[in-house]
Amino acid sequence: MAAEPSVSVARTVAMVAPAAVAIAVFGVLYGAAARPLIGPELTILSSMIVFSGATQFTVIGLLAAGAAAPAVLATAAILNVRHLMMGAVLRSSLGPSRLKRALLAWFLLDESFGFTMLAAERVPQGAERIEVAERTLLVTGLCCYAAWLLGTGLGILGAGLPGLEGVAAAVFPVLFIALAALTARTRSVTVRTVAAAAITAVVCVVLPDWRALAPVVAGLAVALPNDPGPAEAS
Amino acid sequence: MNGLLLAAIAAITYGSRLAAMAILPRPTGRLEQVLARVTPAIFASIATLSLITEQPALVEGPILLAALGALIAAPRRSFALCLVAGVLGYFAGEAIASAMR
Repeated sequence: MAAEPSVSVARTVAMVAPAAVAIAVFGVLYGAAARPLIGPELTILSSMIVFSGATQFTVIGLLAAGAAAPAVLATAAILNVRHLMMGAVLRSSLGPSRLKRALLAWFLLDESFGFTMLAAERVPQGAERIEVAERTLLVTGLCCYAAWLLGTGLGILGAGLPGLEGVAAAVFPVLFIALAALTARTRSVTVRTVAAAAITAVVCVVLPDWRALAPVVAGLAVALPNDPGPAEAS
Repeated sequence: MNGLLLAAIAAITYGSRLAAMAILPRPTGRLEQVLARVTPAIFASIATLSLITEQPALVEGPILLAALGALIAAPRRSFALCLVAGVLGYFAGEAIASAMR
């Protein structure tokens, strides 16, 4: 029994490794793009204290376009709305310690959320699920954080990654398709999942300025209707 | 950008993470049921977002083929198989793209 957690940590690290490499590649791109705009100190500091690729890339884009501070802050708020939903979903798999949850909240990203939910849903509810979920969120979050900081640092130093950008960009859809496939365990949930993808595509095309909210809108739109059939596996 | 703006962005980002995980009450009842169904939908939504640019337009062919590879493998419900299929799809797309140049 004593060896089990370390095995789980090793498996978790192995599972998150492709995503962490992709995050590091995007960190290089971010470091290289941000440095001329905000300087090396604020570039590395932003990765240290914001730790959100989507937010940081968007902020840099807005600053490059000459946006004022209120617009930057409003956009950051919209981009982060999905954290509210992901946090609420994760909450039922985490323990009662508010301090521990507050510390773990630092590591809430799309990727760490995905791996954590996948790991948590594989064990029955109770103390074991809490342990697995908290450990997975911590380990995947640390791996992603280290990768993001390393990548940003290399980008600031002028590292180039010819050819890797495309591979890194391909990792994210593949990763989330895999996570969706593994967590959609019933026909009903699978149908809802496909519907969420369709709603997201429509939002992206019809309301491109609101695409950051698509996961929230699509997730709620497909999850709200009750299932008339037998109880779903969760 | 100055340090104050950066600090505000960091506060918004961490605040959004903290709110749901440590400040707001734990979802119960109907909300808990809804949230239990929402996870794969969020994953599918994020996957779709990563395939459509902000213009909006589809991403490059190799990335689309990577996603197609993962989708083909998805019914097997194996994480590793999805990743391998995605990588194979990507390099197949690269080969096709370079052959067409």
